[in-house]
Amino acid sequence: MSERTRKIESALALVLSTLAALVGLFWLVFILGDVIMKGASAITPSLFLHNPTPEGVEGGGLKNAFVGQGLITLFATLFGVPIGLLGGTFLAEYAGHGKVTRMISALSDIMISVPTMVVGTFIYAVMVKPLGHFSGWAGSVALAVVMVPVVLRTTENMLRLVPWTLREAAFALGAPKYKVITQVVYRGAITGIFTGVLLSIARVAGETAPLLFTSFSNNFFSTDMKGPVASLTVTIFQYAMGPYDDWHQQAWAAALVITLFILAITIVGRIFIKLRYGNK
Amino acid sequence: MNIDFDVKGLNFYYPGGHHSLKNINLQVYKHSITALIGPSGCGKTTLLRCFNRMHDLYPGNRYDGEILFEGRNILTQGVDLISLRSRIGMVFQKPTPFPMTIFDNIAYGLKLRGVKKRGLLSEKVEHALIQAALWNEVKDKLHQSAYALSGGQQQRLVIARALAVEPEAILFDEPTSALDPISTAKIEELVEELKKDVTILIVTHNLQQAARVSEWTGFLMLGELVEFEKTEQMFTSPREKLTEDYITGRFG
Repeated sequence: MSERTRKIESALALVLSTLAALVGLFWLVFILGDVIMKGASAITPSLFLHNPTPEGVEGGGLKNAFVGQGLITLFATLFGVPIGLLGGTFLAEYAGHGKVTRMISALSDIMISVPTMVVGTFIYAVMVKPLGHFSGWAGSVALAVVMVPVVLRTTENMLRLVPWTLREAAFALGAPKYKVITQVVYRGAITGIFTGVLLSIARVAGETAPLLFTSFSNNFFSTDMKGPVASLTVTIFQYAMGPYDDWHQQAWAAALVITLFILAITIVGRIFIKLRYGNK
Repeated sequence: MNIDFDVKGLNFYYPGGHHSLKNINLQVYKHSITALIGPSGCGKTTLLRCFNRMHDLYPGNRYDGEILFEGRNILTQGVDLISLRSRIGMVFQKPTPFPMTIFDNIAYGLKLRGVKKRGLLSEKVEHALIQAALWNEVKDKLHQSAYALSGGQQQRLVIARALAVEPEAILFDEPTSALDPISTAKIEELVEELKKDVTILIVTHNLQQAARVSEWTGFLMLGELVEFEKTEQMFTSPREKLTEDYITGRFG
């Protein structure tokens, strides 16, 4: 192959890959720009302070959805994170490298990519249907199910990164196994695990599908997790489909708030990763 | 001289039946320094790790024979490994500071043993750091991360951590192979200093190191103890031809 053809091929590859990157970036910027432009103007104090007005009446806010989303996500974290942490610990520290370990890991990986709609309908079948009504609890459980495999796999991977010699050193001092794990290994992996937890929260904060069939929605302010609870994502879905202009406005605003929230969590997560691995 | 460890007919098998220590017999004297030398893969580290039953961390390992410590065989089933390991410390090839402050590193073993009083902890931490010749370098930064220390300092920190719980013996597994010559000299000096308080077993790749610091030397090859002698004797007129070939650099 002549030098000329090689140069042409190289230039072609560069052009194509740059184009592909630009196409991806274009849509990202387009979506973000749209959300920011249309959302920013609709963000007012009353959005956070007031509940929705009756249909067709101007004004009102989405206080119910903000609080509801917060509650559902909070409880999802409280259910999902400990299970993920303990499961990951089991895989990395207790289970060894056998068949069972590999199977659980593989299943978790599949769970991570299962469409969240499936999780929503599953929880609908096992919680909502038997109990006879939508509930905030069902929403939290659905989100927790989405979180568990993410937290579990990150925990497992982070624990495996802690060198074996560190564990041996702790054992050599006469530490029992649970203390080696909780006092030494966790400390070595804490930033990575914490980042995984943050990213899993970011992951579920933007989910609509699992909530549609579980916590459903509520036009009134409610912190009763036993009944339907409003959430931002489902509200965005409803309002965007609705016929009123101010609904559309509020949906844009809610979309922007969620986007910023997820962005903030991701940035914090990245800062932690940098703190841990950046300067070494 | 008092015998601290009496190894009798020790055999060791890794999983799959790999016979890696073959009928080892030797005595480790109290408050002496015993070096284990030999080419890579000869079993010297494997032997060292029998003394605190480190092999028990991994499934499938099997001991056969005896290591008598204060007259009791520490290789039997019923031995309390936690208390055994708190009496026999270990220092590894690479420094292994825990991801916590310098103070907490040293205090870790003490806390495991239930020492809670702040005053007593501080006192013992200081004593251990002085013993490990590290106190002057770290006394102003006890509450900083141990990872901020240099490799040589970390290794002395780890020695201080082992010393803090006042063990009867310390096992050194090539403690200086990851260090520069100056740090190495400091560790060697320290090891010699320590023998008045503890019994020391040291695995080393470095023959000069064995000659410099130890009083007794065991030469292992292919899982067998070829020769066990006073260090001076071994390095001047070894009994075995194999030993002579090894220490004169003909192989290994």
